[in-house]
Amino acid sequence: MLAIRAEPRTFNSLTVPDTTTEILASLTQAKLVRINRVTDELEPWLAESWTRSDDGLRYVVKLRPNASFSDGHPLTASDVVFSLAAAYAVRSVAITLEVDGKRLRAEATDPQTVTITFPATFAPGLRMLERLPVLPRHKLEATLSSGAIDKALNLATPPSELVGPGPFVLKEYLPGQRLVYGRNPHYWRRDAAGGQLPYLDRVIVEIVPDTNTQLLRLESGQTDMTTGEVPAESYASIKRAADANTLKLYDLGPGLNANALWFNLKPGSMGADPRAAWLQRDQLRQAISMAVDRKLFADTVYLGAGVPVFGPITPANKRWYWSGTPQTPHDPAAAKALLATIGLADRNGDGVLEDAGGKPAQFTLLTQKGRSPLERGVAVIRDELKKIGLVVDIAALDGGAMIQRIVASKYDAVYFNPTWSDTDPAASADFWLSSGSFHYWNAEQKTPATRWERQIDDLIVKQMHSIDEQERKRLFDSVQTIFAEHLPVVYFVAPHIFVAASTRVVNATPALWAGPQLLWSPDTVAVAR
Amino acid sequence: MLAYFARRLVFAVFLVFAVSSASLLLARLAPGDYASESLGLGARRETIDEARERLGLNRSIASQYRDWLVRAAHFDFGRSLQYDRPVSDLIPESAKNTAILALTALVVATLIGLPLGVITGKQQAGWAGGAGKAGRAGRAGGIIAGAIRSVSLVLLSLPPLLTSLFLVFAAAKTGLLPVGGMTSSVNGGTVGDLLSHMVVPVAALALPLVAMFERLQSQAMSETAGQPFVIATLARGVPLSRVIWRDALKNALRPVASVYGLVIGTLLSGSFAVETITAWPGLGQLMLTALRARDIYLVTGCAAAGSIFLAAGTLVSDAALAIVDPRTAER
Repeated sequence: MLAIRAEPRTFNSLTVPDTTTEILASLTQAKLVRINRVTDELEPWLAESWTRSDDGLRYVVKLRPNASFSDGHPLTASDVVFSLAAAYAVRSVAITLEVDGKRLRAEATDPQTVTITFPATFAPGLRMLERLPVLPRHKLEATLSSGAIDKALNLATPPSELVGPGPFVLKEYLPGQRLVYGRNPHYWRRDAAGGQLPYLDRVIVEIVPDTNTQLLRLESGQTDMTTGEVPAESYASIKRAADANTLKLYDLGPGLNANALWFNLKPGSMGADPRAAWLQRDQLRQAISMAVDRKLFADTVYLGAGVPVFGPITPANKRWYWSGTPQTPHDPAAAKALLATIGLADRNGDGVLEDAGGKPAQFTLLTQKGRSPLERGVAVIRDELKKIGLVVDIAALDGGAMIQRIVASKYDAVYFNPTWSDTDPAASADFWLSSGSFHYWNAEQKTPATRWERQIDDLIVKQMHSIDEQERKRLFDSVQTIFAEHLPVVYFVAPHIFVAASTRVVNATPALWAGPQLLWSPDTVAVAR
Repeated sequence: MLAYFARRLVFAVFLVFAVSSASLLLARLAPGDYASESLGLGARRETIDEARERLGLNRSIASQYRDWLVRAAHFDFGRSLQYDRPVSDLIPESAKNTAILALTALVVATLIGLPLGVITGKQQAGWAGGAGKAGRAGRAGGIIAGAIRSVSLVLLSLPPLLTSLFLVFAAAKTGLLPVGGMTSSVNGGTVGDLLSHMVVPVAALALPLVAMFERLQSQAMSETAGQPFVIATLARGVPLSRVIWRDALKNALRPVASVYGLVIGTLLSGSFAVETITAWPGLGQLMLTALRARDIYLVTGCAAAGSIFLAAGTLVSDAALAIVDPRTAER
């Protein structure tokens, strides 16, 4: 039994990419390939095996002969072809399944074989298809033809119509209360001893909006595991329960994501605001990185459970982290000296820096309301920057309001928690490329606005198209170095990730990836009787 | 009397219309929208624009409001943006759950708060005490009344949010009661199961009300004690307990009856905090979800349902007041 915070919006994981949908999809759906959340390796899943052509463009994928949907209908190559077509019909998903803006082609060679052709060499290869659920063509073909695939599998769909190749099937949905899943009788997977999976007969997902109540339910044995991270402020009580042997607490170490501070770097977006002269300069961000004491930050925001970071890739990403990334020392005096080089100095001795026109060096920092690590983080940033004479006004907004401001480039600075969808940088090219929509400090540029962004673009494109792993690592190390030198985004601390489960839960393999850390492989999770 | 109720009914209809309209306009005017909230950071501007176009969020506020008014006149409150279902399908179940919780809390608060108010009011009016045995009983009564007043003051100062947090914590630590939810997932659905889940949210809602009713009733009782009709009744030799529980109580109900409407309305329109903390699937929780997602039609639907409850509560309160004090309806 587990609990989720939000009511599901849909059962169609193609349309809503939120955590709740991801958790529920992990129970009922399956993909061609799976990224093992612990090893970070790509594993065959509904695909039994594959071969890649020498030029790296073509993949011939063999499906498992025993794979079927939960209604007993065999899962064939035509379902894979159909699923890709369905994904391309949903605009927001389509762009995540493109290489250089072009789509993949899938062709069913025979019922068990599908040939997937990439428009260009793409280093992560089939890893891209980890985002693609294999959908039942026999149930959804008419819906796709009518152009309504984004409306399919909604909350009004009867459970019997929610057909998937995952380990469980939805039996009952009580809005506002719970979802009850039963075992998929046609599930294809067996354990190493040949036993039928999943081990669990039933999974109950309770809807509990309040995180504290979720944790109290866990402590009192009314749920079996967390579906999200244990917040720093709840660590002590969960640790006590773990010490009393009523719970298992997992410290997964520093996470893959660190909260990020960035400024609006879109040229011209500040109009005639004279602050643009210093607000969009590299030196400001470098000074901020020097002014904030990362140890103090970790202690205050994460109660000590965090490690300092100086770039977007944290040490948790073992394959791609570059330990040689330039690091800014904690040095407020040097930060002040750096700010002086862009015309910010305390001209009237009031402790606040002023620009050349005598206006105080002041900016507004947006963050998301109601997220305690973000709210504590902006408070630390404000206090640390006050020490070097920068005035920070904090504005906490609802998520939607904040994102609207970011998309419209109507902000000074933002402190937020963007998360990676994959550890492989080529799969996150939208962040690194100046044309990317996830390049949030200056998104969707027609041509790179700066020389260093052009350099990163070139390196990422090369990295994305190379199939030499060592070459890819070398190229990406260079990307991280350039990024750390110009700091378009400032990172301070990667927090440790804690998750908890009842002591009766066995076989859980907690992983760092955001999403269901304990339930990413739900078919092998079991409970002791 | 009939004209009075007709006036109140017209006011109720206006209230529902005004609250629904205001909530739609405010939800629409607030920064951000469902498209940017649901697509998240990193969505392409073009994708967000397409979503806005598809959902009709790029239309002017006036045009959106006009369409909504026309549909609402036919009892069609639009489709929820996040659930893609008619709002009228989503509201009734949540409203029913809120009503179960709120009405139970109200009954509990009334049954406990009013008698406690009588006890403390009687003490304040000097109706307890005397010499010998009666004096000892009076002193004991004074201690009890003092204790009740102290507890009331504490409960009045505690918002339901804190009370529910404390009660959920106590339920988890003692294991005596379920921690949140409306029914158990295993062997749930019985009346006993429902009642056990109701204890925490009902207590969280009812405790501050108990205190409020006690304070109001106590004050009214002590004021009624000095009324000439009470003194005359006592002088005629009618037993004190009968005077208190029959004559004085009826007269002292007016202040409580006058706040009843607001209390009913507030409870029924959904207590956000209590429903969220105790995971009670009611109107408050639904509205909170809608607000977070910027689902403007669902927000409006929830606000409309809440205002219907508020209007109904006010009507019930007016009726109670008219019964307790018929002069009210004549004004």
